[in-house]
Amino acid sequence: MRNTDPCHHHPSICCLLEPKDPREEEKWAAELIQECAKAIADKDSSKIRHLLWVLNELATPYGDCDQKLASYFLQALLGRAAEAGELCYTTLISAAEKQQSFVTARKVMLKFQEVSPWTTFGHVASNGAIMEAMEGESKLHIVDISNTYCTQWPTLLEALASRGSDTPHLRLTVVAMLSMGRSVMDEIGRRMVKFARLMGVPFEFHVVSIVSTLGQLTEEELGLRKDEAVAVNCVGALRRVRVEERDAFMRTLCALRPRVVTVVEEEADFTTSRGDSVACFQQCVRFYSIFLGMLEESFSPTSNEKFLLEKECSRSILGVLACNGGGVCERREKASQWCERLTEAFAPTAFNDDVIGDLEALLERYREGWSLVPAKGNAAGLYLTWKAEPVVWASAWKPIKP
Amino acid sequence: MDPAEGNGEKRALDGEDLVSNKKLRKNRFQVRVLQDAFYGAQHPSAARKAELADQTGLTFEQVQAWFANRRAYDSCRPSQREPSDENSIDDPMEDPEAEVIALSPKTLLATNRFVCEICGKGFQRDQNLQLHRRGHNLPWKLRQRSSKEPRKRVYVCPEPTCIHHNPARALGDLTGIKKHFCRKHGEKKWKCDKCSKRYAVQSDWKAHSKTCGTREYRCDCGTLFSRRDSFITHRAFCDALAQETARVTAAFNNVESNMLQQFPMSHIKASVVHGEAADHEVKQRLALWMGHGSRTNDPLGNNTGFGDMHQVGPVSAAATLYGDLLNSPSNLHQLDQSQLSWVYGDKLPSSSNMGAVTSASLPATSAVKEAETLQPLLGSLPVLFSSQQHHLIAVSDTSATALLQKAAQIGVTSTVPFTGSFEPPKCQNANVHDRFDGLFSSRSQASNLENIVPNFAVSNTFDVYAARHGSPPRDDVGGETRDFLGVGVHTLSQPSINGWI
Repeated sequence: MRNTDPCHHHPSICCLLEPKDPREEEKWAAELIQECAKAIADKDSSKIRHLLWVLNELATPYGDCDQKLASYFLQALLGRAAEAGELCYTTLISAAEKQQSFVTARKVMLKFQEVSPWTTFGHVASNGAIMEAMEGESKLHIVDISNTYCTQWPTLLEALASRGSDTPHLRLTVVAMLSMGRSVMDEIGRRMVKFARLMGVPFEFHVVSIVSTLGQLTEEELGLRKDEAVAVNCVGALRRVRVEERDAFMRTLCALRPRVVTVVEEEADFTTSRGDSVACFQQCVRFYSIFLGMLEESFSPTSNEKFLLEKECSRSILGVLACNGGGVCERREKASQWCERLTEAFAPTAFNDDVIGDLEALLERYREGWSLVPAKGNAAGLYLTWKAEPVVWASAWKPIKP
Repeated sequence: MDPAEGNGEKRALDGEDLVSNKKLRKNRFQVRVLQDAFYGAQHPSAARKAELADQTGLTFEQVQAWFANRRAYDSCRPSQREPSDENSIDDPMEDPEAEVIALSPKTLLATNRFVCEICGKGFQRDQNLQLHRRGHNLPWKLRQRSSKEPRKRVYVCPEPTCIHHNPARALGDLTGIKKHFCRKHGEKKWKCDKCSKRYAVQSDWKAHSKTCGTREYRCDCGTLFSRRDSFITHRAFCDALAQETARVTAAFNNVESNMLQQFPMSHIKASVVHGEAADHEVKQRLALWMGHGSRTNDPLGNNTGFGDMHQVGPVSAAATLYGDLLNSPSNLHQLDQSQLSWVYGDKLPSSSNMGAVTSASLPATSAVKEAETLQPLLGSLPVLFSSQQHHLIAVSDTSATALLQKAAQIGVTSTVPFTGSFEPPKCQNANVHDRFDGLFSSRSQASNLENIVPNFAVSNTFDVYAARHGSPPRDDVGGETRDFLGVGVHTLSQPSINGWI
């Protein structure tokens, strides 16, 4: 349905022509994207084409947040429209993997952790919960299903070494996610082994590569032993499990009989809105604009690490919006939703005062804008907030005794 | 062994020296093994000591010292127990006649039991109160601490779940039990405002506040950190750590001692390559490297350092360390030869020089004279023989002659490109002299050199090692170390010297 009103088709151009509230002007990408999503839902092909053209004109991955947002969503929209999302995603992933090396991965991760508590928040919380749950144990086995590239573990190793008179034996089994290249993981493993020796912690390291999807992980693959205390660390992992497999995955975790399960996820809901593309887009735009804004403010403008993270972000957006089923899944859920799933088999445990203290101290070390907020209502755990928006959620769970 | 770390907290990772704090205190496992052995035999043979060293991951010297101390401890029953040592299991000094006192939590937490009747001021100890009373011109009496108490008192912790609740694990000191109770079972009222760390005991908090935030952490690669957590995370993945262990492992892959990881040679190597002056950091590292936890100032005849590495295997870590110098990653190959010549002087491998070195290595007072002939080398040595009074004394089986013959075979040429840059301040030379003497005058040392040789040639190392041990490096996919102390097989996914790089 053609509408002759130019503003309807060129909302952004309209905005640019008329002097407006600067804050509103900043949000042009969100608006455009939403419009486009709606058009796709309505199957209004001319409108789709038009909006995509506008987006294309304004988008650039090298510009400001809005321009970046526009660029990444454009890619996702195109993928969706052409139904080539998965192909695109896997191509991007393999290209990235080829370029990836231990050195670059390390640089990006460590720099990110230096400038922003986005990841370290979850690490500190999880490590604290693990240390508490494993008090007195002498043989630990941590199943690490995460995207942290093991950057979480050095501080844990140090904590174990300083713990007391007897240092426990630690086995670390890392479940490598899709994007984590084998050679990188091997190198990381070697470094971990060396570091553990330096710390004087008896250590074993093992990587499990996922053949099929994460949801199909079996106990056998993990190689548990009888006399060890198991902890499962899921950081940024649950969202990789396909939505329909999530409940089963919880049960699998429970079957491992862990002392504690630590869950860290990004606070966004891309799941309930699966069916409704417009709502899904809305959630995505909201979350990723916060994320990109945070990156912008945390890094220096010309940071290479920031650029790589943004590229990863664009892949993620593509993954959420343009991929349905298959091996790709990045459908985040909010804390309350995860809690609902987890309470089937687990009960939440609170973080102790020391951990809270550590987290507060952690946030002190970063720029302004971050704070810690305990979850309320039907969600347990803690939120990390950026400019009052909850962005990361950390929690710890104990299996309910049968 | 340093009995306590002040506030009793363990710091395994210290910006300055990573592992030494941990090393000073023996952990429960180690104590148990040693105790069991002691009950079996109070005078173990050297082989037995070596075995125990292997088992516990301690050095031969440490085991030796432990037994000596233990025998002394056992033979004279002191009237006073050691202050609370929570790590001691089945302390044999436990006096079955001791009176076990169980104080209530209230009493333990009470801070000022002794109160002045005049002004109401409270004091922790009666002594302090008495001195205070002097100020009021009141009669005061200072009780002498009688060394012969009619009955020894030990204190148990009132908390039933606590290990010190058991009279067998009671603590011998009132202050000790008070602090223990407060720390373990008390409320952590004191909080550090810089880092949010919490403490139950005020003195612990004070001690912490003094150092909190003041410490900077420096990695071997040179980067400085103000935050401990970022330092630790960085260190785990730092290339400096990887390189050092890589070379060590490559040369020496089947046998490892936990001392190996204390020797971050990479920094030294970097210095060597870039001709940087040795700095304090290097010396610190070397201190660790050399002294292996022993902080004695006894310069000569101190058999710590590498002596114990002998126990770990025929090719000692001393060799590895030298090997470290001599095995370079691919981009530093040219150093091999120069480093060798560092050891052997400018003219290698002429027999005359070898002679000089050999005689220097003989245990004798002539060592002093020999050291002088090696003066040109000394310029570079202080870097490695740090100013912190530790000695490099290696022990091994083969004779010095065999060692030197091997060296001659390898055919090293000479250049010492970096001597100049390591010229230490003059005052250190004297120390180095002594240390050099110590190095080459110790009994078992001649082997010192022997250990170096097998690791000289990058290409030969592996073969030499393999030949000696007759087994190729194991390819263990899981990355598993044999035992937690690193003694045993280390994983090498490719049997190459530069495999880690």
